[in-house]
Amino acid sequence: MPESDLELLKEQENVETLSVVGKSVPRIDGPEKVRGEARYCSDFGMPGMLHAKLLRSCYAHARIKRIDVSRAERLPGVRAIVTPDDVPDMRLGMHLRDHQVLPRDKIVRCIGQAVVAVAADTLIIAEDALEKIRVDYEELPAVFDPEEAMKKDPVTIIHPELPTFICGDPHFKKRLEPEMPNVCYHVKMRSGDTEKAFAQADLVIENRYSTPRIHHCQMETHRTFAWIADDGTICIRTSSQSKGPAVRQLADLFGVSPGKVRIICPYVGGGFGGKVGSFTFLEPLAVLLAKKSGKPVSLVLTREEQFIDTPHRVGVITYVKDAVAKDGTLLGRQLKIILDCGITASMATLIVRACTYGTTSIYRIPNLKIDSYGVYTNLPRTDAYRGFGVPEVTWAIEQQMDMLADKLNIDPVEFRRKNLLEEGEMDASGQRVHSIGVSECLDKVTRWIGWGSRPVRDGSWVKAKGVAIGNKFTVAGWSSGAIVKVYSDGFIEVRHGTEEMGQGVNTVMAQIAAEEFGTSVDNVRVIHGDSAYCPYDFGAVSSRCTYHVGNAVRQACHEIKRQIFQMASKRLGVEPDHVRLKDKQILVTGWPDRTIPLSDLFNREGLPITGGELVATTSFTGTYVPEDPETGQSPRSKAYYAYGAHAVEIAVNVETGEIKVLRIAGAFDLGYPINPKMAEAQIEGGFGQGIGNSVFEEIVIEDGVVLNPNFGDYKIPKMTSVPSNTDSQPFLVSAPHQEGPFGAKGLGEAVLVPVAPAIGNALYRGLGIRVMDLPMTRMKVFQALREKGMV
Amino acid sequence: MKKLLKLNVNGRVHPAYVEPWRTLLEVLRDELALTGTKMGCESGHCGACTVLIDGKAVKSCLILAYQVRGKKILTIEGLAGSGTGSLHPLQQSFLDHFAIQCGFCTPGMVMSATALLDENPEPSEDEIRKALTGNICRCTGYTKVVEAIMAARRKIS
Repeated sequence: MPESDLELLKEQENVETLSVVGKSVPRIDGPEKVRGEARYCSDFGMPGMLHAKLLRSCYAHARIKRIDVSRAERLPGVRAIVTPDDVPDMRLGMHLRDHQVLPRDKIVRCIGQAVVAVAADTLIIAEDALEKIRVDYEELPAVFDPEEAMKKDPVTIIHPELPTFICGDPHFKKRLEPEMPNVCYHVKMRSGDTEKAFAQADLVIENRYSTPRIHHCQMETHRTFAWIADDGTICIRTSSQSKGPAVRQLADLFGVSPGKVRIICPYVGGGFGGKVGSFTFLEPLAVLLAKKSGKPVSLVLTREEQFIDTPHRVGVITYVKDAVAKDGTLLGRQLKIILDCGITASMATLIVRACTYGTTSIYRIPNLKIDSYGVYTNLPRTDAYRGFGVPEVTWAIEQQMDMLADKLNIDPVEFRRKNLLEEGEMDASGQRVHSIGVSECLDKVTRWIGWGSRPVRDGSWVKAKGVAIGNKFTVAGWSSGAIVKVYSDGFIEVRHGTEEMGQGVNTVMAQIAAEEFGTSVDNVRVIHGDSAYCPYDFGAVSSRCTYHVGNAVRQACHEIKRQIFQMASKRLGVEPDHVRLKDKQILVTGWPDRTIPLSDLFNREGLPITGGELVATTSFTGTYVPEDPETGQSPRSKAYYAYGAHAVEIAVNVETGEIKVLRIAGAFDLGYPINPKMAEAQIEGGFGQGIGNSVFEEIVIEDGVVLNPNFGDYKIPKMTSVPSNTDSQPFLVSAPHQEGPFGAKGLGEAVLVPVAPAIGNALYRGLGIRVMDLPMTRMKVFQALREKGMV
Repeated sequence: MKKLLKLNVNGRVHPAYVEPWRTLLEVLRDELALTGTKMGCESGHCGACTVLIDGKAVKSCLILAYQVRGKKILTIEGLAGSGTGSLHPLQQSFLDHFAIQCGFCTPGMVMSATALLDENPEPSEDEIRKALTGNICRCTGYTKVVEAIMAARRKIS
């Protein structure tokens, strides 16, 4: 930790005295997970439970002329069938409400879209029933290429009612382009005058890059389970990472009070963004079937359905034009970003905005112009994916930076350093930079990788090194609640509303509460996952839990401590600010002999002597200032940034085009690490997922058909695909955030961001070739080598 | 259609009435309520459903329950001895080395690692990575999983 940062943190948080926060406490969910006792959505059964299956469209775009379910209904064991006519007339969505649970308007928009849902006594009967349903379609023209879809006269308009949709953005209408009817969201970022910058520049370069649709590949597929309680409450147990917003919208959908919708998210087997909007297409189907059959209904998607019908990462095309002076000063940058959102853009509209923030706030860019477009296509739905559009655009920016450095004959690391924003500067989106440790991150990874050495040829293999930096912002403004209760023996109960999907939020919250009460995590119980017993939370998204939930938990702890200190001050006859808590004891500063046990403040019934219970409920909402719709400028559109750097050493086979990542280092400035080992584990997770995203992951789609919907054909990294332990190095860098709990920020997404361009830059340094379109497969590298006459 | 099947799981014989075409994974989860064994892909690619059959790591989604009659099946629930509250050294090592995140792949990983260490008590890092190549994890990047197995290797041997 740099001395200046440490001083700042010492001043703010007195970190030297911390005993639980900042320590690698073992995960509190570890014992049950390692024993196989941790329960996920489908580990719960219920007597009389039915099994659901979905009939899916085999057309990319078609009008439904007729649906005949009569033969299926007669099948013994079929208990309920839901068709588009049974679905309430309301569209759902996290941001843009463009989802229909089933196509009520009788238009299917992609292959694999659900058309009819069946619940039966067994899965086999449900599958048989699907065979007996007849749907007549009239095929319509389809468009799969986002650049085709966004043209002024597209072959088809996917959502003609788009202007009537409800959106969380008050400026939604301004984001539409009436002449480009498939553009569902257009975000502008304007700062300075880019035309002037291009005219004055010594060097201008312009390129097109793309990143494909990929899948989150959560080990637990999407699944949900619904039943109607005796009092009519709609109960849903689901594998979701954002149940907070789901409660309200599902209440509206079914015409009941939000108090009559209970959503339970037990442990989630991986999310990575793909389980944010599942309430828009999955949970309501199970509820409709449960209502119609009067029985509990389980809907578990297969791995194939997971690839076909659950959200993909958006496909992104990025055009970048850069202006630079001879001395290496960035003068201007212009981007046109096109996102293939598929048939709905509920969350993707936010990604259209989010992807611009990856560019605005890491380099000093005096003149910046970004136009980012979300475009509907007849391809499967999309949703958030770890990084929220930023890795996709960073793939372009960070290769562009190396190209500029190369042409200016400046070392790419030095070129980056020269243009890095510093603490207190204004970024290109109008927000002041705070908590930026990227320069130190760059130091750590370049030193570890041995930056500066030349590529080495070893038989058919060429070894080379590459570097890239990146960042990921966290959305400002979304809320998290916490309820903290203290029992008479000092035991602490923390309830929060977010989801535990592996990121470790339960352990972090236990550490924060234990620290506040001067005890250990053994004395803390964390309850999460049930909207009936836990407070509201927007969701486990945008790397926000440590900061938002952490601040809420801390505030609740402070409130309870205030009550305890007041009671103690009366009891001991001292001022409240002379009292503190440690190991369930109340200590008086300067009077060690006046220590009393905390339990002395409780009566025999276990209640505080002042009456009531020791419970505090809080809600933390970060400050958000809406951005100007014409310029994207705002003093606070982001809560904070996590910054970082990756350095890799790769080996490329010049005969086959194969890329092997031999060594990888990642350094990230997560503020102050609440649990260093868990933070390291996030960075290592970024290595694995990042390498997969870079060199082989792609959802292959032909005429709207997903051709590789399984782990045999869609390759994801295995143990043998990533560098050995000694060749993988995570670094934690401090850059305390003044508003973070104990100076902490979020980390989960940033760790993925610079991996792909670091590998792309290494490929160029080794062989002088670039693959502009991810992934850098063997075939593409081989083709690039052949174009250069190297094979 | 359903027939009586007796399965020897975690040292106990469990009777169950099941159809002959049900997979071992389905029977473990749905009939015996041993839900520690996870369903991730049903095609043998992900390894979340790994159990030990006569000491060998097997993907329980790819084998019919009837095929394992008379064999000894060990699932994650039986690894440390059920109900003892203790942990097998591998489980303890996964915990100590932060090798768990979402935890969905963890039971399968632990079972594959158990089979490996039973067969080869001192595997190299390379041997560990090759032996567990059929177990996919999307969270950890594998570093801490490998670290945990290497540390357990020393404890067990």
